[in-house]
Amino acid sequence: MKLGSPVHLRGFATWSGTFLLMGVICLPGIWVMISAIRPTREILARPPIWWPEDPSWANFARIFGLGDTLVGIPVHTYFWNSLVVSLTSTIVALVIGMAGGYAFARYRFRFKNAWFLGLMLFRAVPGIALSLPLFILWSWFGLIDTPLGLILVYVALNVPFTIWLTDGFFRLVPPSLSEAAQMDGCTPWQAFWKIEFPLARPGIAAAGIFAFLTSWNEFALASHLTRSTDSKTLPVGLMDFTAQFTIDWAGMCAMAVIIIVPTLILTFFVQKHLISGLTLGAMKG
Amino acid sequence: MAAITLEQVVKRFGRDEVIHGIDLRIAHDEFVVLVGPSGCGKSTTLRMIAGLEDLSDGTIRIGDQVVNDLPPRKRNLAMVFQNYALYPHMNVRQNLGFGLTIAGEPKEVVAERVQDTAALLGLSDLLDRLPAELSGGERQRVAMGRALVRRPEAFLFDEPLSNLDAKLRVQMRGEIKRLHTAVRTTIVYVTHDQVEAMTLADRIVVMQDGRIEQIGQPMTLFDHPVNTFVAGFIGTPPMNLIPARIAGDEIAFNDGQQIPLPDRFTALVTEGQSVIFGLRPDHLCPDKKQRETGTSLVEIPLKVHMIEPHGAEMLLHARLAGQPVLGKMYAPRPVAPGDQLTFQLALDKIHLFDAASGRSVTAR
Amino acid sequence: MSPSTDQENLPAVTRLFRRHHSALTPLLLLSPALLILLFVIALPMAFSLYASFTPYRMTRPDSIETFIGLRNYIRLIGNDDFWAAFLRTLLFLAIALNLELILGLGIALLIDRVTLGQRLLRTIMMFPMMFSPILVGFQFKFIFNDNIGVVNNALQFLGLADQAIPWLVDGTLAMGAILFAEIWMSTSVFAIVLLAGLFAMPRDPLEAAKVDGCTPWQSFRHVTLPFLLPFAYIAMTIRSLDVARAYDIVAIMTDGGPAGRTELLWTLIARVGFDNARMGEANAMAFMASLLSILFTWFLFTRLLAARRTMGGVE
Repeated sequence: MKLGSPVHLRGFATWSGTFLLMGVICLPGIWVMISAIRPTREILARPPIWWPEDPSWANFARIFGLGDTLVGIPVHTYFWNSLVVSLTSTIVALVIGMAGGYAFARYRFRFKNAWFLGLMLFRAVPGIALSLPLFILWSWFGLIDTPLGLILVYVALNVPFTIWLTDGFFRLVPPSLSEAAQMDGCTPWQAFWKIEFPLARPGIAAAGIFAFLTSWNEFALASHLTRSTDSKTLPVGLMDFTAQFTIDWAGMCAMAVIIIVPTLILTFFVQKHLISGLTLGAMKG
Repeated sequence: MAAITLEQVVKRFGRDEVIHGIDLRIAHDEFVVLVGPSGCGKSTTLRMIAGLEDLSDGTIRIGDQVVNDLPPRKRNLAMVFQNYALYPHMNVRQNLGFGLTIAGEPKEVVAERVQDTAALLGLSDLLDRLPAELSGGERQRVAMGRALVRRPEAFLFDEPLSNLDAKLRVQMRGEIKRLHTAVRTTIVYVTHDQVEAMTLADRIVVMQDGRIEQIGQPMTLFDHPVNTFVAGFIGTPPMNLIPARIAGDEIAFNDGQQIPLPDRFTALVTEGQSVIFGLRPDHLCPDKKQRETGTSLVEIPLKVHMIEPHGAEMLLHARLAGQPVLGKMYAPRPVAPGDQLTFQLALDKIHLFDAASGRSVTAR
Repeated sequence: MSPSTDQENLPAVTRLFRRHHSALTPLLLLSPALLILLFVIALPMAFSLYASFTPYRMTRPDSIETFIGLRNYIRLIGNDDFWAAFLRTLLFLAIALNLELILGLGIALLIDRVTLGQRLLRTIMMFPMMFSPILVGFQFKFIFNDNIGVVNNALQFLGLADQAIPWLVDGTLAMGAILFAEIWMSTSVFAIVLLAGLFAMPRDPLEAAKVDGCTPWQSFRHVTLPFLLPFAYIAMTIRSLDVARAYDIVAIMTDGGPAGRTELLWTLIARVGFDNARMGEANAMAFMASLLSILFTWFLFTRLLAARRTMGGVE
C-alpha cells in the first residue's frame, strides 16, 4: 500500500489522536508526581528545571514529620482517619446496599421503578447543600468532628449507587440457581452465601471500590463536618497547605501522591468489573 | 418414594388467579407429564409442588404429610430446571455432591454416591470440569445426576429438554425413560411438547388457562379427547376440527356437503344441534389404503392446494366447508396443487363435540 | 403422622408471614437503606427547608426559632450575586456536560478503533475517575499557576508567549481553567460507558445497513448512535449524581475569585452559610440547589428508562 493512501492516513490520525489523548490524561498527574520528589527550590526555579536534578523522598519524609524539617501538618493522622472512615463506611454501605440491590433484582413489588429512582435521587443532593443542615444537626447530636459522623454520611452517600451496581450483578445470576440450591437442601440464607454471593462477587467488589473511592476522595462534606485531627481526612488535610500565606507546593504534591496511589492500585484490580458494572443497567430492565 | 396429592390448589399473583383449584393424585412410582401451551399454569403447579411458590388455597400432600408450609429443603424432592441451573462456580463433582454436603453426609459417602451416579449417567470422565466446559447434553445429564444422587421422594422436571436441539432431545428423552424404568420413582414432568408427553408419560395431564382439561394415559387422550382443546393439542398433525350441524341422519357442513351420522352418536345428539366435527388426518386419505378392517368409509372429493411430502407419507392441505383440512397419503404418488382427489373418510374415527361447550358428545 | 400436623402446629403469626412473605421481604431488605437515607439525607433536607424560613445565624442560636416565612427567598430574588452565581452554574454545567459527552463519544470511537494495547488504554482512561476532585483542582492549580506553572513555563520556553499568562487571576481565563479541570476529570465516565456500548453493539444491524447501501456516516447516524443512546443516558445519569463535585475544584483553584468571577452556586452557599454564618439564607439557596439537582437526575433517569424501553428486548 502506498504511503499517504486514505487507510494509512486514518491509521496515522488514530495514532496521533490516541497519543494526544494519553498525553492530556497522564501528563498533569506525572508532573505532580515528578514535583513530589524534587525540592521546592527546583519547583520555583527560573528558568524552569524540567527533569529533577536532585530527586529524593525528602518531601514525603517531611510531611510525615520525619527528618529534621517538621511541617505542622499531621499527615499520618489524616491518613489513618481516611482509612478508618473509608473502610468502615464502605463495608457498611456494601452490606446495606447489597440487601437493597438483592431486593430489586429478585423480588417483584409495586412501584419498583419509582422506589429505585427515589433511592437514586437521595444521591443527587449536592454535598455542599447537605453540609449546611448536617453541620447544624451533627453539632446538636454531638457527631460533628467525629469519625462516626463522617462514616454515617458516607454510608448514606454510597448506598444508592451500591444498590444500582449490585442490582445489575444479582440480575445476572439466574434465580433458578438459588432455587436449585434450596431444592438441594439449603435455607434461602445458605443459598445466598453459597451460590449467589460468590457469583456476584466481581460486581460486589466493583461496588466496594466505588464506595471506597467516594469516601476516600470526598471533600465538600468532610471539610465542613470535621475540624480537628480527630476526624480530618486527607482531602481536607490537603487544604491545610493552602491555608498558610505561602503555598508549600512540594509538600502538597507529595500529599497528592499519597492520596492518589492507593486508589490507583485498587482500581487496577477491578477495572474490568467497574466498566461492566456501570453499563449493566443499560440493557437489562 | 411417595405419592403426591393436590386438592383444590389455587394460585393467585396479586389479584390474578392463575390456577383455579386443581385436583390431581400422582401415584407412587408414576411418571406424570403436565402438558399445555405456555401460560397454562403447568410450571406454576410444579413450582408449588416443589415449594418454590406458595399456595394461595388448597392442599398439597407428599405421602401423608401436608407440605403447604414446608420450605423446599424439607420436602425431599429433586428438580431439574429448564436452564439446568448448574452452579457455574463448581465443577461437576461439586455440583453433584452439593445437596449431600449440605445435608451433612460424611465425605466418603458423598464421594461414593457421586461416583455411582456419574457412572450411571456416563459422567465419570467429566467430574472435574466446570459447567461452562460441558456440551448441552452433558449439562442436561449433570442436572439429572444432581437430582438422582440425593435419592429424593420424587423428581420434578421443568421443561428439561427445551434447550436441546432436536436430535439430542430425542436421545435424552430415551435416557429419561430408561432412567425411570431403572430407578422406579415418582416423576412429575412439565413440557409444552405433546410428543414428549406422549412418549414419556404413564399419565398425561393436559392443562389450559389454569385448569386441568383431561387426565389420562397417552392413548386414551389420543383416542378419546374430552374436548376440542385436547383434540387439537394432542397428536401431530393436529385433528381437523370443522363446524357442522346435525340434520336427521346426516352431519351437514356449512357448504351443504353431508356425511352420514354414525349410529353410535344418534342417542347423544339432538336434531339441529351445532357440533364440531373432528377427524385426524390419518383417517382422511385419498388412497384406498385405509388399513382398518371393517371400517366404513365415505368418499368426499376435495381440492388439494398444498402438498407436504414427509417421505414415507404425504400431507395434503385441502378445504372442507371453507375450513382448512389436512389429509394423509400413505402411499405417496405424484399430486399437484389444484388436483381434485377423492378422499376416504373413516366414519368409525369421527369425533363429535358440542359447538357451544366444546365437550365431546361421548364424554360423560 | 396425621395429615395436617405440620400446618396446624405453626403459630398463626408465622403462617401469616409465610403467606405474605414475598411482599414483606423486599421491604425488609430495603429498610436499612431507607433508614440511613432518611436519617442522613431526608431529615437534614427537611431541616434545611425549615431553616430556610428562619433568620438563623450560628452566632445567635435562638434565631432558629424565629419564623420569617419566605423572606429569605424574597431576598434571594433581589440578590444579584445569587443570580450571577446561579446563571454561571447553569452555563458551566451546560458547557461542561455537552463537551464531556461529545469528547467522550469521540474518545470512545477512537479507542474502539485502536487494536494494539486497547486494554491498557482503557485502564489509563479510567485514571481521572479515580482522582479526588480536590486533587484535580490542586493539580490544575499547580500547572496553571502563572509563576511556577508548567503550562506557562512551557509556553514561554517554546516562545509561544513572551510573558506569564494569568490563568487563574483573570476571571475569564480562570473560568476556562476550571472548565478544563472539570472536563479532564469527568470525560472518562462518558468515554468508558460509551465504549462499553460500542463493544456490546451487535454486528448484524451494521452489516445490514452496509447491504442496504448506507454510507459510513449514515450507518453511524442511524444505527450506531441510536444504539448508544441508553449508554449516553447512563453516563449522564451517573454524572448528574455528582455534578456538584465541581465545588471542590473551584474551592481549591480560585475559591470563587477573582472578585467573584468564578463563583458557582455551590461556593456561594458555602460562603454565605459557613463564612458569613447566615445559615437561613444559605439554606434557602441550598434547598433550591438540591431541588435543581434532583430534578435534573430525575429527568435523566426517566429518559434512560424510556430509551431502554424503545430499545425493546435487547439483552
